[in-house]
Amino acid sequence: MIEKTHIQQKEITLNLKNNYKKTHTIEELIKESWKKIAPFWPLKNLIAINPLQGFEDLPIEKAMIEGATFFEQENLPSAMELINRQTIKWLQAFFDEGQATINMPFRTSGFYMAWKKLVYFDDQLHGRDAKKKKWILTLPDSPDKAITACLIKMNIPKEKQITFLSLMLTTLPGWASYIKYRINWTEAESLHPHAVSETDYIAIRLITTCLLWERAAELLEWHERAKALQLNKVNPIKKIQQAETVYLQPLLQKLASQTLNPLPAPDTQLIFCIDVRSEPFRRALESQGAYETFGYAGFFGVPVRIKNTSTEEVYTSCPVLLKPQHTVNESPYSSENCTQDRQKYQKLNNIKAIYQSLKYNFTTSFALVELLGISAGLWMALKTLTPILATKYHAFITKKIRPVMAFMPSLENISFAHQCTYAESALRTIGLTKNFSTLIVFCGHGSSTQNNAYATALDCGACGGRHGASNARILAKILNSQDVRDHLNQIGIIIPKDSYFIAAEHNTTTDEVEIYEANTESTMLTKKIQQLKADLEKARKINSKKRLQEMSCDSRNNSYTDHTKHRSLDWAQVRPEWGLARNASFIVAPREMSKKIDLEGRAFLHSYDYRQDLDGTILTGILTAPMVVAQWINSQYLFSTLNNVAYGSGSKITKNITGKFGVMQGNASDLMTGLPLQSVYKSDTEAYHEPVRLMTIVYAPFVFTDKVIKKQPVLLTLFRNGWVQLICIDPNNRNHSYFLDRNLTWKRNTSVLTACSS
Amino acid sequence: MSFARIGGIFHIDMLSIMLIVLVSFIGVIIYLYSKRYMKEDALYQKFFRNMVTLLLSVILMTVADNLLLFLAAWCCCNGMLVRLIIHKSKWKAAKASGRLAAQNFILGVSFIILAFSLLYTTTGSLSIQEVIHHPNKSWYTVMALLMLLMGAMTQSAIWPFHRWLTSSLNSPTPVSALMHAGVVNGGGFLLARFAPLYFNTPKILSIIFMVGLISALLGSLWKLMQHDIKRMLACSTMGQMGFMLVQCGLGLFGSALAHLCWHGMFKAYLFLSSGGAAQEKRLELDYPPTFISFLCSLICAALGSYLFTSINNTPWFPLDSSVIIVEIVFITCAQLALTILRGAPFKKLPIAMIVTATMATLYGANVYLFDLILSPLKLMQPQPLNFFHFIALVMLLVAWGFILFVRYAHNKSKLPKWFLYFYIKAFNSSQPHPSTITTHRNGYNYV
Repeated sequence: MIEKTHIQQKEITLNLKNNYKKTHTIEELIKESWKKIAPFWPLKNLIAINPLQGFEDLPIEKAMIEGATFFEQENLPSAMELINRQTIKWLQAFFDEGQATINMPFRTSGFYMAWKKLVYFDDQLHGRDAKKKKWILTLPDSPDKAITACLIKMNIPKEKQITFLSLMLTTLPGWASYIKYRINWTEAESLHPHAVSETDYIAIRLITTCLLWERAAELLEWHERAKALQLNKVNPIKKIQQAETVYLQPLLQKLASQTLNPLPAPDTQLIFCIDVRSEPFRRALESQGAYETFGYAGFFGVPVRIKNTSTEEVYTSCPVLLKPQHTVNESPYSSENCTQDRQKYQKLNNIKAIYQSLKYNFTTSFALVELLGISAGLWMALKTLTPILATKYHAFITKKIRPVMAFMPSLENISFAHQCTYAESALRTIGLTKNFSTLIVFCGHGSSTQNNAYATALDCGACGGRHGASNARILAKILNSQDVRDHLNQIGIIIPKDSYFIAAEHNTTTDEVEIYEANTESTMLTKKIQQLKADLEKARKINSKKRLQEMSCDSRNNSYTDHTKHRSLDWAQVRPEWGLARNASFIVAPREMSKKIDLEGRAFLHSYDYRQDLDGTILTGILTAPMVVAQWINSQYLFSTLNNVAYGSGSKITKNITGKFGVMQGNASDLMTGLPLQSVYKSDTEAYHEPVRLMTIVYAPFVFTDKVIKKQPVLLTLFRNGWVQLICIDPNNRNHSYFLDRNLTWKRNTSVLTACSS
Repeated sequence: MSFARIGGIFHIDMLSIMLIVLVSFIGVIIYLYSKRYMKEDALYQKFFRNMVTLLLSVILMTVADNLLLFLAAWCCCNGMLVRLIIHKSKWKAAKASGRLAAQNFILGVSFIILAFSLLYTTTGSLSIQEVIHHPNKSWYTVMALLMLLMGAMTQSAIWPFHRWLTSSLNSPTPVSALMHAGVVNGGGFLLARFAPLYFNTPKILSIIFMVGLISALLGSLWKLMQHDIKRMLACSTMGQMGFMLVQCGLGLFGSALAHLCWHGMFKAYLFLSSGGAAQEKRLELDYPPTFISFLCSLICAALGSYLFTSINNTPWFPLDSSVIIVEIVFITCAQLALTILRGAPFKKLPIAMIVTATMATLYGANVYLFDLILSPLKLMQPQPLNFFHFIALVMLLVAWGFILFVRYAHNKSKLPKWFLYFYIKAFNSSQPHPSTITTHRNGYNYV
């Protein structure tokens, strides 16, 4: 079963109002002040997140206003800008993951201690003022004590301390978000050589403030003014609601009018990720023959960490809400290949090392540019004139040094019992427990883009911002194991002997599907795979054409696939694909419900058959895990579109990557969180993504659905506060849809407006 | 080499041809790149107008044989660059970057106007060719040459005029590429154009050498300290431009031009590909090297530098200023070998020698060809060794050794006070101009 989320454990809610009069301990103060900040992931695995996650316990309209008072203010007090400049400087230095060659000293002692040892020498902070320098020397080793001392020094009244500390974070929100990620969301944080804590950063912020702004208490007045200003602004929710009605009403009508005929026995079954980009591709493929497709979270229910035995790289390949349970080794087929591949990888690295050793040194870099200038020039010309040829050439060279090998997962670290659980849970969740076809494909997905800092934002969110092929390979291997099948047999899931599972990966940028072939001797199967490949190619053409139209590219008839390929390989391309832009709904229903409807790539599709979910565990699992991830994605697109400066990361054309983990604008700025302008806007002024909230549509009896959600506080918060809307289509009376309103009562009403207005 | 003169105000020689080829090559690439990169930008049309004007004015500058025409092209090119730097005029920090660059260019142009007036006064001619072929030792000429040097320094972001460049990263990526590959080279071009006059006053060559050396070392130091990709590239450019001036100061204007070309292409490439910076993993280089590997690397370096010098028909240990170039080749070969030798120095010595020899030969051939092309301009006149050259020899070696042997002291829990003092001094001085930093997120504006 899908593991319990640990959101609740992460955010310990303190009841603010009751505690207001009491004095807080310093720990409480700090915990409370960090609550307004949502975490933000580094570039290596960009996970979509609601930038207002810290405000989710408020109704969305209020949260937007509150959010605006903290994050959307046009001006800051000028002294605060001075403080930010100095903070950014040290943040860049401390969190660097490999850009600089000469690094900040003492980083292994942790952020506060390292900074404290250096700050005495920083003229820009103390301005050579003897008194300030002396004060720096008296700073305590414990950041807690430093915080208390600073609050006293700045005369911040007790009842305003939480607000003040929050403001210390929200006036430089992006960097705070990254720190929040580092503290709460990295499994390996305890192992990170450069530790940071919530208190560390607040202490540094406060000391900097003390040094640069004596009357910092004025920040509180600024905040009060900001609040007053915000009250007069137009709330964006009205426009959002209108867009939702326009989208939802026709969709519900179409869904309700579908007849659910059992499909003829399918030739091949394919399980795709719920990602909105799967939907149009699935439809394109279904039109090619007797294909049945399913939607399931793209990590296929196997919460693993993947270790590449050649590169030694380890990464988590499951939703960030889950803890990986196993480390799966991936290596080339034979052990001989394994050692060879590892050596060849080393060889490739040695060549890179030569380049780096000459580049990152004095003296040698002067000769390096003269040595490489001509090749850099020609390479640059090739890449710009014909990206496809450049890629071929590059691949040719790297293949010479390290030939590409097929990788296989080893299941040795997943116990048999676990294998059985994952197998059963996957099949039951999507309702595939009978009518197995002979070929069943788990199809993960990933993107391929060039020169793109935000590349991982286009990868599979369910795999923690990575490609999904590994998980597909693992589950296929599990389900092909005879022992597992025997076990499934006993519990009533009978997989025919001639059914075979294989893995594949859908490239969302080019619509190519790579099939990871199994060693099978069955000619029938080989034939089927051949047929599938041919049909996938046809589906690719259909989908590429459609996607290019969405990108307003007119391409000549036969070159659609070339054009998408060009986009994916072009280093100058800022809009390689639209990603999950325009996402709007999350449909939990069997595929027959939506098969005949063009959902325009705007729906997350999760397969679900309520008749196989007697106690509601499956629905609970779907709504508390994949739906929450979908809500994170939806909110990120929503807010990045509403205000791309405050919640998005601005234009790609002036981006500057800092520390190999984040993006700043220009010379230096706040860490830009959220999606870049080019991911959600057609042009500088016209949005492509339509800001709507996630609309979850469940096909199940509403009484049953009601029972399921009422047990889940996480869901109730989302529904009650209007972050997600829940609509239920009752199989017993499909003419009506039921809306869950803000009071958590169901309304049998066809008008959406009444249901979602507050 | 025949000189082509058109209408009395143009003059085309190998120098202009070389720069026209460079600027057009890089210009066309950046133009095509920007067509996709800047798509749907609100100021798309304006951007391309400015860029094309800039490129044309640079080409005009390279063929101009009239002081006034040269000046006009120079101003036009810099004016366009300022407009390109600002691009998003509602973004305060971008405007500040533009203002800083404009101030610098105005200063530079003032120097050049002074220089040109002095030259005109002494020679009575507006033709650049006539001016440079009538050398005289008057104070006016010396002053003019110093002023020209200052002009070149502002244009090439040489210390102490470097700040506009390291604060210019609020501009779109293609603009940075164009700036670092093209416009900053203006300084080198200016010096090369007037090289015959500089050869006549060797004292100024020493000044050029020293400011170049300071910039080269400072720029490299700052580059190694930067935490974001673009500022690292900007500081690196400053260092490379410093090195270009070092080459001028050694009397090797031809080498400086070669450096300008290759650096231009290299840096343009690095800027255009800076979006992928997060994907490049830094590899462990196993510093400090063992004594044995170090010795072996010196053997490879001796071989490499020997091949380099023999291709270029110079002694292995030249007793003139080109010894500095040989030293750099030596150090580079040693570094190259050192990386290959890691782990098993004896076993890998043959391969290290082969690789080093190949690279040194390629490098030598590269330099040789360039010299051949530029030989009619007589831009290569190594100078007698002086005290400054010895300082440089030592410093280039020490700086290299610092990264190899000392840098890893950073992982220690105690460091001497002076070290921390200098670390922060260098770190702070490499920060961009305060007004060009976006200190408030909502102060950023993409429209």
